[in-house]
Amino acid sequence: MAHDREVLRMIWEGQIGICFQADRDEIVGIKPEPFYLMVSRLSYLPLVTDKVRKYFTRYIAAEHQDGAVWFDYNGTPLRLHYPTGVLYDLLHPEEDCTPWGLTIHFSKFPEDTLVKMNSKELLESHYMSCLKEADVLKHRGLVISAMQKKDHNQLWLGLINDKFDQFWAVNRRLMEPYGDQESFKNIPVRLYNDDDFTYTQKLISPISESGQKKSLADLMAELSTPERKAVGFRTHGIDLHEETQVQWMSEHLSYPDNFLHLSVDYKDV
Amino acid sequence: MADAEENLASTSTTNATDKEAAKICVLLNATGNVPIIKKRTWTVDPNKTVSWIQKFIHKFLKLDATEQIFLYVNQTFAPAPDQIIKNLYDCHGTNGKLVLYYCKNQAWG
Repeated sequence: MAHDREVLRMIWEGQIGICFQADRDEIVGIKPEPFYLMVSRLSYLPLVTDKVRKYFTRYIAAEHQDGAVWFDYNGTPLRLHYPTGVLYDLLHPEEDCTPWGLTIHFSKFPEDTLVKMNSKELLESHYMSCLKEADVLKHRGLVISAMQKKDHNQLWLGLINDKFDQFWAVNRRLMEPYGDQESFKNIPVRLYNDDDFTYTQKLISPISESGQKKSLADLMAELSTPERKAVGFRTHGIDLHEETQVQWMSEHLSYPDNFLHLSVDYKDV
Repeated sequence: MADAEENLASTSTTNATDKEAAKICVLLNATGNVPIIKKRTWTVDPNKTVSWIQKFIHKFLKLDATEQIFLYVNQTFAPAPDQIIKNLYDCHGTNGKLVLYYCKNQAWG
C-alpha cells in the first residue's frame, strides 16, 4: 500500500490549545487561574486531562472532589468518547481563536446527554469496539480478529502514550485492502451535520458502480437528496478537495478508531 | 414497562401503519446466562439509542439495579450507548433485520 507517511505524521501531530476554567459554583475560596494545555486532536479528553483535574481539585468543595468530571464549551457538554478534534471541529470556535475555552465540572454530570466514559478502562473498551466495527466494514472483521491481544494493546498504548511508530506498526495492517481487491469493502465513516453531535452512518463503498475509485464529489452526489445538496466536507480542521479519493481518505485521514469523522455542509435546494 | 411496550410495538401487529413501516426490525438473541425473552422479533423506532434498548431489556427481565445488560451487533462489537438503531441497521442489518445479542457479562470484548 502506497502510504503517504508524511500525511499520517501531520495528522498525528495535530493539536489544540485549550484554556480550562473552573465552574464558579464549585469553587471555595479564591478563584484559581486558568489551566492551559496543548492536547492531541486524535485523543480523548479523559485521557489527557489528569493534570487539569488534579490542578483544580484543590480549589473545589470537598464533596465534589471525587465527582465524575465533564467539560462544556459555552454551555454545550462535550461527549467524552468523541475524539477531541471531532468536538473542536463540530463546535468550530469563531475565527479559530486559540486557545479553546472550556469549563471543567466535578458535579452535576449531565447523564441525559453524556455517556459516562470517564475511566480509562471504559474508554479503552469503547475504542476497541470502534476498531472492531470499522474492521467489520472494511474486511468483514477478519483482520482485527486475526490479531492478538498484544496487538490490540499496542494500538491503545500507542494512542494514549502518543507513540506514532508503535501505533502505526499495527494500524497499517488494518489499512490493507480487502482480500485480493485494491480497496476496502466499505468505508467506515461517521457523517456529522454542523452544530449537532449526532452522526449518520451508512454503507459507503469506495468503488463507484462503474468500477472507478470514488471521489469526494461522488460521495457528495450520493449524500444529496432532492431537498438538500452536500456541498463540502471537513475533517481535522481541513476543508477537503472534492477530487480526493474516498479510499485514500480512509487510509490517511481516519482517526485512530479507524473511522473517518466528516463534517458535512449541506445547502437547501 | 408500559412506556416501553407502547414504543417497542410487536411485529405481529397486522394493521401496520406507515409509521410502523418506517420502524426497524430487531432480532434479540440471549447469550450466556441471561434469561431468554420469548418474543425475539421487535420493531423499534429508528432514532432509539442502544442504551434505550438496554434499559428495555433490563426492565423486561426485571433485573436487579446492580445487574448490567451488554449488547452486541452480530456477535462482533458493542455499539456505543448513544448510537442510534438506524445507523446500526444501515451498516450491519441483514435480511431486513438488525441482529443484536444481549448478555449480563461482557462477551465479545
